[in-house]
Amino acid sequence: MTTDARRRPGIERALAIAAVVGGALAVVAGSPTRATRGSVDVTELARIVEHEEDHVTAVELARWIRDDKPRLRVLDIRADSEFADFHIPGARRVPLAEIARMPLDSSATYVLYSEGGTHAAQGWFLLRARGVKNVFFLRGGLYEWLEEVMNPRVASTTPQAQRDSIRALTLWFGGKMQVVDSASATTVPSVLDGALSAPHMSDTRAAIKKIRRRAC
Amino acid sequence: MMAPFYEFGRLGEGTSLLIAVLLGIAFGWFLEQGGIGNARKLSGQFYFTDLSVLKLMFSAILTAMLGLFWLSWAGLLDLSRVYVPETFIVPQLVGGLVFGVGFATGGLCPGTSCVAAATGRKDGIALIAGMLAGVFVFGEAFPAIGGFADSTARGALTLPQALGLSYGTVVGVVVAVALGAFAGAEWLERRAERPARPMKVVA
Repeated sequence: MTTDARRRPGIERALAIAAVVGGALAVVAGSPTRATRGSVDVTELARIVEHEEDHVTAVELARWIRDDKPRLRVLDIRADSEFADFHIPGARRVPLAEIARMPLDSSATYVLYSEGGTHAAQGWFLLRARGVKNVFFLRGGLYEWLEEVMNPRVASTTPQAQRDSIRALTLWFGGKMQVVDSASATTVPSVLDGALSAPHMSDTRAAIKKIRRRAC
Repeated sequence: MMAPFYEFGRLGEGTSLLIAVLLGIAFGWFLEQGGIGNARKLSGQFYFTDLSVLKLMFSAILTAMLGLFWLSWAGLLDLSRVYVPETFIVPQLVGGLVFGVGFATGGLCPGTSCVAAATGRKDGIALIAGMLAGVFVFGEAFPAIGGFADSTARGALTLPQALGLSYGTVVGVVVAVALGAFAGAEWLERRAERPARPMKVVA
């Protein structure tokens, strides 16, 4: 066998070169499948969800954006047209399918939001499965953002300092705070009751109207 | 080769068995043509005078490994459906040792002993008898040694999992090791062929 092979050194060399090329390219290719596979620590995930460490409130997110939290990435996973109508400042539109593939920055903090909370929570799971540690979603979605940040209704009994803080945050994003009787200061969806009269709010108001129509 | 067709039910039991017989005959024919049905050639492996088996095995591993990797990469093969035998560390070390002793003393491994028997070699027939006797003894003794045989189980463990490396990296490393082994084997064989060396071992 050896003597036979030695009579054909050309074939041997060609096979060796083929093996080297195949092996070297395999190192570059890395994975034999082109599907993105992730894995999750189910126990860890359950703990995070149970301790409510998986989401942020709209006000927390607003503060992060205003205070320029380092490496914050806000991802909007709604449709293109909805994003064009209205989105949280600084957000980038990323379809849910793209979340499974997009290059990730492991040191960044990702915040996902959708119209409600469901799609964002699903996106949260995808990013966790891909190994991102700092990932949150806006639990109440864009509704929460519009109600708590853009058009908050604060009870007249709320301490002045707290009211000023909310007002400042709302103004920073171009929204308008409303002071109401303590009875209606909760989350009654009455955003469109003529409260949005500031001219610079017209775009936002149209967007809210659109969302409200779909939601009701 | 026929695995995907059988898995997806394109082939029935009977057809699969027939193909298996044909593949087995082809396998044996190529082994015999390669001279691997000869116990002297196989024993040469253990005296470093003829490393055909090492080169043959590594060639087969490289061909299968690169084929599986790139077919999967091209989307033509689902690696998750390829059967991976389970690992039992200590029992398999002991089994490997028993296998190695039998291989070195008998000069044939299970496949090649069948090839040798098919060509009428008596040592091949004797080894098949020994192999069947071993299977029988193991089966009868299983109630006593079953606990050991199932110990240190690691499931279907693969090198990428065990080493924490990507599949591609493992493929690259195995290719490098194999080519090194080929070069080393050729060097050992050339050394063994030199007639004047007093240390030459009679195989």
